Amino acid sequence: MNLRDSAERLVRASAFERFLISAAALFLSIAVGFVLILAAGRMTTCGTAATSFFGVGFCYDPITVYDRLFLGAFGNVFTDPLNGQFATTLSETTVLMFTGVAVAVAFRAGIFNIGTQGQLVVGALATAVAVLAASPLVSGLLGTLLLVPFGLLVGAVFGGAYGAIPGLLKAYADANEVITTIMLNFVATSVALFLVQDHFADPESAATQTVPLPDYAVFPSTVFRPRDDFSLLAFLFAVAVLVGIYVFLERTSFGYDLRTSGIQPEAAEYGGVDAPRTVVASMALSGALGGLGGAVYVLMILGNFQTGVPSYGFDGITVSILAGNNPLGVGFAALLFGVLKSGSIVVDVGTDVPPQLVGVLRGLIILFVAMPEFFRMIGRRVWTFEDDSGPQPVTDGGSGGERDE
Amino acid sequence: MSNDSLGGIGFGGDLPWRRIVVGAAALGLVVLAVAGLLAPESDAGRLLDILTAQSTLAATLRLSVPIAFAALGGIFAEKSGVINIGLEGLLIIAAFSGVYLADVTGSAWMGVLGGVVASTVLAALFAVVCIEFQADQIIAGLAVWLIALGLAPFASQVVYGGPNTTSVETVGTLTIPVLSEIPFFGALFNATPFVYLMFVAVALSWYVINRTTFGRWVRASGENPKALDTAGVDVHHVRYAAVLLSGVLAGVGGAALSLSLGQFTGNGPTMVNGKGFIAIVAYLFGNYNPVGAFLSTVLFAGLDALQLTLQARDVFDIPQPLVRTIPYLTVIVVLALFGRTRTPAAAGDHYESGDD
Repeated sequence: MNLRDSAERLVRASAFERFLISAAALFLSIAVGFVLILAAGRMTTCGTAATSFFGVGFCYDPITVYDRLFLGAFGNVFTDPLNGQFATTLSETTVLMFTGVAVAVAFRAGIFNIGTQGQLVVGALATAVAVLAASPLVSGLLGTLLLVPFGLLVGAVFGGAYGAIPGLLKAYADANEVITTIMLNFVATSVALFLVQDHFADPESAATQTVPLPDYAVFPSTVFRPRDDFSLLAFLFAVAVLVGIYVFLERTSFGYDLRTSGIQPEAAEYGGVDAPRTVVASMALSGALGGLGGAVYVLMILGNFQTGVPSYGFDGITVSILAGNNPLGVGFAALLFGVLKSGSIVVDVGTDVPPQLVGVLRGLIILFVAMPEFFRMIGRRVWTFEDDSGPQPVTDGGSGGERDE
Repeated sequence: MSNDSLGGIGFGGDLPWRRIVVGAAALGLVVLAVAGLLAPESDAGRLLDILTAQSTLAATLRLSVPIAFAALGGIFAEKSGVINIGLEGLLIIAAFSGVYLADVTGSAWMGVLGGVVASTVLAALFAVVCIEFQADQIIAGLAVWLIALGLAPFASQVVYGGPNTTSVETVGTLTIPVLSEIPFFGALFNATPFVYLMFVAVALSWYVINRTTFGRWVRASGENPKALDTAGVDVHHVRYAAVLLSGVLAGVGGAALSLSLGQFTGNGPTMVNGKGFIAIVAYLFGNYNPVGAFLSTVLFAGLDALQLTLQARDVFDIPQPLVRTIPYLTVIVVLALFGRTRTPAAAGDHYESGDD
């Protein structure tokens, strides 16, 4: 058996192992969530117990909750494939694909971009303002053909510029990007609030929001009902972006430099990679993808910009980590999270369990994926593993243990 | 302003950056004070008026408490070699648990205890994940933050039917007669017990780190775990102790935050609102020294108090959302100027003893 074969086998094994770890982490999070729902059911008061285990009554029934969470997201998809709940699932998935791949690009470059949320807010506001300003110039189908790509470009440029700031601070001033990106999230929220309140407010509305965009300036809903705020075109665009980023990372020399900087910064420097420039470029690209997510959020879901943007950026962190920071995996992880986000609405309406449950699951999943050693240990108990290499940080594309056949 | 601080902006120079910036800031304050005294009706005069108000110092101290306790906890954890990015999460969970237990038991001090226990349990989980299962510390820390960010509003919704809890009894203030009458500094003697506790905790932390055997172990565990191991001290045990201690300290800070107001608010980033991350910058700026961390905490909290006062009095014509960004922007600037602190050599690395 030559070296190359074993190397390939190792990569396959590690990709499979990563999938197993993600699946196990998800399962474990759901199990912890199960206990949490039961515990929450003991903390609250209710007239009749919803369920009982071992003779103890609980106010919430986890089975019902999970049923609503996972199946509610699909609605009656078999009789009506275009139903509103399923449209919501897909539109959440679309935005999460952008935020997930935004986080993935940064993580692959070895940079912890926690600022996708802020970059998305900046991109969203810029898109809403720019498209509104440009909308009187054109109209009709031509308007859609010109304005939607223009809006996406504006979102990407502004998100990218906002992402480049922490990149520059890290590259040239050594400022820890975890802290700067989190601080910039707060700044983005406050500045967006100020700009909308003082400069771009819709005079017709009591809420803090911009003037609604005309119908021809947003994503056309194509096959789904217009009121369900989902566009198949936007979805396909998101898929194309994921594939594009995958090809960029795997097949271009810059993508290679970016990945090498993430795994082996010293080796990358030695190989002639300009480290500071790679950091800034990676962060700008990551921010641009986050900004695209914001643009799609405005052009597909809202139709204008409103303060109080949902936590797509933070969900993107979980999506990326669950996908092992692989752009193609992000598609599946985003769909899973789209299901959870959409299902949480059904849970909120149909049960007494708060929709914040998904927020808890979001954190738990990251925690469990971050500890592959835990699963390897269990694995070694169940099968006999070779005593393999040490820890694998989730941000590298490293190889894990190999099954001993 | 002092232009010499701009003279040598280069990289890798041995400029005493801290001294220059602090000097420039002090000079700026002197200029402001003179201008303010000469022209009390000008903007400078009004700003001076706000800066020297007793209420400003009182607010600064109140806002310092959660940041200072979290920063002290962060110092212990990171000195031992475990970077605790999850301080924000520990503050959040303690803030909620504090109010919940105060509500259930009817005693604010039981609430504090509850907050400390909750935060320590979460810190223990983080410690096991990092030390036992060799997780990436940054990712695990983010997970701690996100878990708390989801769990606190979830629990609040379950118990109180909304992201904000009901109001409970606050801890109250301890006023020292006569001393509290002193202009400006009187705020030091008319504060919640947590403020006094904060001064004690800062002094104690400094003493423990620099003057005790345990402190020496913590430092060695972060700088040279191999040597500590060779000397026969279990590195894992030291790191567990240090991370649990960070949970206890952040727990006091989080409970103090909610119980001095008597309510937990869980909308958006919750009432903790980035204080845990500001704490990290505070101890980096303070160069891992508890006293330095406390001084930079007072700086950040002072800016926060200033922006609250500016919002309340509305003397300047700056839009409120922009005023609110002052502390966050300052944190970024400080981090950019002093990002190059020397972290403990082994921080972030897992240590595996050779003989198992």
